[in-house]
Amino acid sequence: MMQSLLRSVCRAGSRGASAKKLLECAATPPAPTQSGPNLSSVSHLRPYRWIRPFGSQILTGDGVPAASGFCVKTLVMRRFSTVGNAEVALEDDDSSSPAVEHPPRIKFKRPDKTARHIMNILNKEAVEKVRSEREIPDVQPGCIIQMRLQVPENKRRESALKGIVIGRRNAGINTTFRLRRLVAGVGVESVFPLYSPNIKEIKILDRKKVRRAKLYYLRDRMNALRK
Amino acid sequence: MAAASRGLLARLRGLPLSRPRLLPPSHLFSAEPLVSHPDDDDGGGGARIIEARSGVMGPSSRRTGVIGVKCGMSAMWDKWGAKVPITVLWVDDNVVCQVKTAEKEGFFALQLGAGQKKEKHLTKPEVGHFRAQGVPLKRKLREFPVTEDALLPVGTTITVRHFVPGQFVDVTGITKGKGFAGGMKRHGMSGMPASHGASLSHRSIGSTGQRDAPGRVFKNRKMPGRMGGVQRTVKNVWVYQVDPARNLLYLKGQVPGPQGSFIFVKDSIYKKPDTTLLPFPTYFTQEGESEDLDPLIADLGDVDPFMAAD
Repeated sequence: MMQSLLRSVCRAGSRGASAKKLLECAATPPAPTQSGPNLSSVSHLRPYRWIRPFGSQILTGDGVPAASGFCVKTLVMRRFSTVGNAEVALEDDDSSSPAVEHPPRIKFKRPDKTARHIMNILNKEAVEKVRSEREIPDVQPGCIIQMRLQVPENKRRESALKGIVIGRRNAGINTTFRLRRLVAGVGVESVFPLYSPNIKEIKILDRKKVRRAKLYYLRDRMNALRK
Repeated sequence: MAAASRGLLARLRGLPLSRPRLLPPSHLFSAEPLVSHPDDDDGGGGARIIEARSGVMGPSSRRTGVIGVKCGMSAMWDKWGAKVPITVLWVDDNVVCQVKTAEKEGFFALQLGAGQKKEKHLTKPEVGHFRAQGVPLKRKLREFPVTEDALLPVGTTITVRHFVPGQFVDVTGITKGKGFAGGMKRHGMSGMPASHGASLSHRSIGSTGQRDAPGRVFKNRKMPGRMGGVQRTVKNVWVYQVDPARNLLYLKGQVPGPQGSFIFVKDSIYKKPDTTLLPFPTYFTQEGESEDLDPLIADLGDVDPFMAAD
């Protein structure tokens, strides 16, 4: 989201600022706010949508000042953009018809990047939703956990599990952690999704200091005393 | 040449379709004035008027499909706690770009366009096609054969509500390219032992035929070659959820193609859905409905499937 945050800052916020800078150098009249009146003023030049010729004149004229490189680059890219699309796209609605100002619209050049962006947003929202409903502590490798799990296949019995977390894999809503515990004298490792609705409660009993993200060495060091 | 003279003739005749510069620039992008314009919907030479009205779906009717972009895969938990693998499709601005009828083309089909594209990125014939039909410039065009009662006028928007959660669909896409693949990957051959003296041929295809008779390799012998990058259809995919506010379609399971590729979704042929539930020919927004609807999830029933297994 960093990139899109930056982009949103550059576009929405600093559009006026860097635009002004460019304009001072280029000394051409109207500001590229890409609003309605602007469109009509350049419409006679080129009846189709883009303010492209206008933007390109500025570019070739004086080059791009080196201030705030990334922001200026995105501003320059955004000049070739849909008229009326002043907002950055966070979620898509209709992407046609510049006259209609939908809540932010995805505007893209590459469908696969947009696709990944959409998946990112969906993932974040799903995680936020689960986090707001349930209290999910921060399970890190080395925590000793006690959890209550409801297994739907097993006629919804609630089982209590206690063990040590030996690894955590971050993948948005499918974030999983591996729990190693002793079951009837045998060491058993299981993988649980952190945001699953079947996990009713997780309690952290202890946090051990570990210097590793994945504690697979514990498989060789099975003391009966270790949990 | 013929093309130049045709263009010249068109200009001399002053055909309205060849002079779009008189139209305001916004005309190209707002599809609204073009919906159900009886005069413009002349599908063929005759007076065929296609209206955007809902009809009744018969047993042999076929509706259009939809063009979507594959966004990615994830997983969701349904209300009973079972995990459902999900593919997310983004149905971006599907607009009917051309109607093909029996009078003119000999069959009935709707050409849908999806996405958006700048004019500088399209060839002139493509731009001319969009201009002639009066629809915005689209990124992908695809034709869906339909029956006569499912025709829609040019410019109709097809949203994600065309599909009902809980129905089955057939999903077509271009698979991921795997490049030049060997026999083991491409045809599932088993290769040769890794040790025991096998020399330099652990993954090879082995023998390709007999000896002097026939003395040649038969055609269609499975050999290494390019794999992937072809169109394939996955059938009977279950629609889990429909998000009309964001034009997203959630399907259960896999779909061919990488992220960002175009996917064509149609009603399933084998697992026919209940015809009364599907919006026919497509879903038209009623006046009373709000823009922001919650996602519609498939109906999973009231009985907990896990408890019922006792």
